[in-house]
Amino acid sequence: MISSNLRRLALKGALACAFAVTVALPALAENAVLRVSAIPDEAPTELQRKFAPLGKYLEAQTGMKVIFTPVTDYAAVVESLATKKIDLAWLGGFTFVQAKIRTNGTAIPIAQREEDAKFTSKFITADPAIKSLSDLKGKTFAFGSPSSTSGSLMPRFFLQQAGINPEKDFKNVAFSGAHDATVAFVAAGKVEAGVLNASVWDKLVETRKVDTAKVRVFATTPPYFDYNWTVRGDLDPALIKKLTDAFLKLDPANPEHKEILALQRAAKFIPTQKENYDGIEKAAYSAGLLK
Amino acid sequence: MSFLLDGVALTHANGFTALAEITLQAERGERIALIGPSGAGKTSLISLLGTALAPTTGRATVLDTALDKLSPSQRKALRCRIGTVHQAPPIPGRQRVVTAVLAGRLGQWPAWKSLVSLIHPVDIPGARRALERVDLDDKLFARCDQLSGGQLQRVGIARAIYQQADLLLADEPVSALDPALALATINLLIDDAGQRGATLVASLHAVDLALSCFSRIVGVKAGGIHFDLPAGEVTTALLHELYASEGEELPVLAHEPRSIPGAAAQTAALAACC
Amino acid sequence: MLLKSTARDPAFRGRLNAAIIVLLVLWPLLQTAEVKPGALFDAGNLTVIGNFLAAFLPPETGSEFLGYLGKATLETLAIATAGLALAFLLAVPMGYLVSGAGREHPTLNPLSRSLLTILRGIPELVWALVLVRVFGLGPAAGVLALGLTYGGMLAKVYAEILESVDATPARALRQNGASRPLAMLYGLLPQASKELASYTVYRWECAIRASVVMGFVGAGGLGQLMDQAMKMLNGGEAATILFVFMLLVFAADGFSGWLRRALDTPPAHRSSPFGWRSGGFMLALLLSVSASFHMLDIGFGALFSLESATSISQFVASFFPPDLSAEWLAKVAKGIWETLAISIVGTLLAAVLGLLLALPKPRAPFTLLLNTLRSVPELVWATITVLAVGLGPFAGVLALALHTAGVLGRLYGEAFANTPPTAARALRQAGAPAVVVFLYGTLPGAAPQLVAYTLYRWEMNIRMAAILGFVGAGGLGQHLYFELSLFHYAQASTVIIAMLALSIAVDQVSAGLRRWMQ
Repeated sequence: MISSNLRRLALKGALACAFAVTVALPALAENAVLRVSAIPDEAPTELQRKFAPLGKYLEAQTGMKVIFTPVTDYAAVVESLATKKIDLAWLGGFTFVQAKIRTNGTAIPIAQREEDAKFTSKFITADPAIKSLSDLKGKTFAFGSPSSTSGSLMPRFFLQQAGINPEKDFKNVAFSGAHDATVAFVAAGKVEAGVLNASVWDKLVETRKVDTAKVRVFATTPPYFDYNWTVRGDLDPALIKKLTDAFLKLDPANPEHKEILALQRAAKFIPTQKENYDGIEKAAYSAGLLK
Repeated sequence: MSFLLDGVALTHANGFTALAEITLQAERGERIALIGPSGAGKTSLISLLGTALAPTTGRATVLDTALDKLSPSQRKALRCRIGTVHQAPPIPGRQRVVTAVLAGRLGQWPAWKSLVSLIHPVDIPGARRALERVDLDDKLFARCDQLSGGQLQRVGIARAIYQQADLLLADEPVSALDPALALATINLLIDDAGQRGATLVASLHAVDLALSCFSRIVGVKAGGIHFDLPAGEVTTALLHELYASEGEELPVLAHEPRSIPGAAAQTAALAACC
Repeated sequence: MLLKSTARDPAFRGRLNAAIIVLLVLWPLLQTAEVKPGALFDAGNLTVIGNFLAAFLPPETGSEFLGYLGKATLETLAIATAGLALAFLLAVPMGYLVSGAGREHPTLNPLSRSLLTILRGIPELVWALVLVRVFGLGPAAGVLALGLTYGGMLAKVYAEILESVDATPARALRQNGASRPLAMLYGLLPQASKELASYTVYRWECAIRASVVMGFVGAGGLGQLMDQAMKMLNGGEAATILFVFMLLVFAADGFSGWLRRALDTPPAHRSSPFGWRSGGFMLALLLSVSASFHMLDIGFGALFSLESATSISQFVASFFPPDLSAEWLAKVAKGIWETLAISIVGTLLAAVLGLLLALPKPRAPFTLLLNTLRSVPELVWATITVLAVGLGPFAGVLALALHTAGVLGRLYGEAFANTPPTAARALRQAGAPAVVVFLYGTLPGAAPQLVAYTLYRWEMNIRMAAILGFVGAGGLGQHLYFELSLFHYAQASTVIIAMLALSIAVDQVSAGLRRWMQ
């Protein structure tokens, strides 16, 4: 159904040894490859590190060769899913909605972390004068990627509900591109305030990558549905089932699984469905990000 | 005294000796022609007088300034008083004639004046007068790349005239020009030097032009002075000796090479002009 | 009365008017570009940039990172080489078609000319975004994007170089019955080959830098690493990557110099025009190009498959019709004006800076400085200048100016070196001070070249200014990044059309200015 040429092409660009793979493993049938990517909400090298044990686990569960392609652009992941260049992707709530629209509703969310069912975003600043959202008027402000749910869409939606129009009320709007980059922007004083997802913020605080004496949270959004693992709708249903089960089977009691879950910052994976993201779709229309 | 060279030698970095043991001196207002076969050292001698090259050994004094131990500012002050006419006029094609002529006094002007002159020429009447001398005042505001080769050479001379130098050096100033223009050009230089009592030293390829226009002829051969005589005392035998390496014919102004006696009529005509 | 009228320079009034017009145009541009040098010395900004630069030491030398770096460096070289090889293949026939050189009657070639304009007018990044649909994530899209954009640029410059050399030899050959290609090979190429070759090598250096832009679409290479290190403000990694970058550019520079010297050496007396050296060079060139394609493993067959044809046409169709609502047009118009301001002010600043750096002697430290300035791509400069002066167009201006100053300083230096020295020497011998010698003797000779180089850079900078917004440095880029991220193709389409129109307009103005200067 897919020309072998195209399949081969989809391997290109992997920083790590896509080349070596095609040379070293010529015996593997082409359709025994599962191509995976993730929205770059963190540094791609970090994403690759996080994915390595999960990739091995998925290889064992599906019997397929798993190849992870890091990208630096959110839209590229959505587009690749829509043009069948990848099979499985880690998407944010908003990127899932975009993928759903671009695949005419065929993309299927198969699992999400327990945390993703009630996700939040944190507004942070290093400026002592900023105490609430209304203090943000006339300041410089950083979102993550424009297509990020927790770094752009939902904060924008909640800012609007608080009566703040980012384009008009902020002095300057920057898109840092990634959540940890937003923290770096705020810590460095490149912008006066920013917003990022709670999960990355907690991780940075735990690992002491951020100086909490300097950068602090001054507002948090209400909860919403966020990240999930999404597959192309035209994959073999048996494979979809295998993948879904693989995620749901991950058990914190199993030490090997525990490592995978810890890296994914998940207590465990739970099933999810398209309808969970209708709220985000509405928010996107109301914030003008979907037209 | 205009200049004094005493036992001056010039050896290039590659070991080639361009000038050896030259002793030569000139009084103010003299008109000297340097002649000799190509490669004899005429250009080196002119460059030495213009302080572009420093002597390897010997003592050199130009315009009462000793050339050794010159400080940069002294050298600059000296250079302001030396004018040079080049074989190919060293003028950027895109410069306007007025600017090219005024450039003759850049050494004398304070820097601010030179800068202002780029925005608006500061001495248009002066440039015009210099150009009138070479019959080019109608080209005052033309651009140099719009001029013919002969016109451009006259702009170069107008620049030297405008500079009002005490020592005027000319290195083959007319070898690119046709005979009539060459003659007129040399006349201009002599005329200008004569009016101001400046010294003129010109290296010339054409022997007849040198003999008819200059009072003193210096024959240069193999880096040394072969003879140094008033024009009237230069004999055909001396000339043949000087140009021995270049065959029987002596180089003259006219297109076809011919010997001096054969060109007597023309020489006479030239002499009448000078 | 008469004396007064003769003492007036007839050209002065024109110059004065021109100066006033320039000032009148420049003032609003400076306003839009938010040029405020004070921001450079703002205490807050100084600490930000100081902390970032302090983190440069020690540079990151972890073995894992160095492994990534080595791989990325090879990939960057391969992308640049393969991209340029493609560009060259495209540029030679296009340049031949477009150029007026060797023609007996001037022709316009509106078709090939407008194709070139479109190729060049759309930034590499946008091409890469389009081509990513066909080739998937990976270097193929980057290589093709480079090939198309640089193909357009090379073709244009090849054409103009061939037009700029003395046409008489070719004309004479044609009058003797030689065909146009032969007349060009025998009459024009010998004069132009040095400049053609050095421009091609120079473009290769540029291609290495352009891979930064390619990093945005996941094309790999050093660009992707750099992008991340800069986003994360990871000074140590940034320092190492920058260092490798500079090494690459310096190596390319040395290579270019070697090539130019080789072209200068008169050939040995032998019947074949190719000796072991040129033969070996050709062989090495072929090998490195094929090695590049092999490493990147690009299958161009995919470009011609039915599936990709449909996906391309669907994708292209989604850009039409562009969003022409008044509200969006007003936003885009503001972006255009800002982009224009950034490009003009940045280029002018670069010209001044480049001139100042092209002159002092001894050259060695200044050559090093110029090479450093230009080895850092504009986008990377922008991430630094955004720290130094805050978000906004001024950061874009500075980023453009810093990189372009490196490029122009080098080109200016070459132009001065190629200017006949006689005029300056004569003035120096007449005792003029150095500055005056330069202004009267060297500058008039070199000026047409300087102006041409500066205008060419402006044409390039308008394209770069259009994408600087990707890192928050103002201009149209921010709109494009935002809209493309959100799949708002109708809006993105308007922005791309605006970029294209802007670069075409700038090309026209630039060509007009060059004609006017002559």
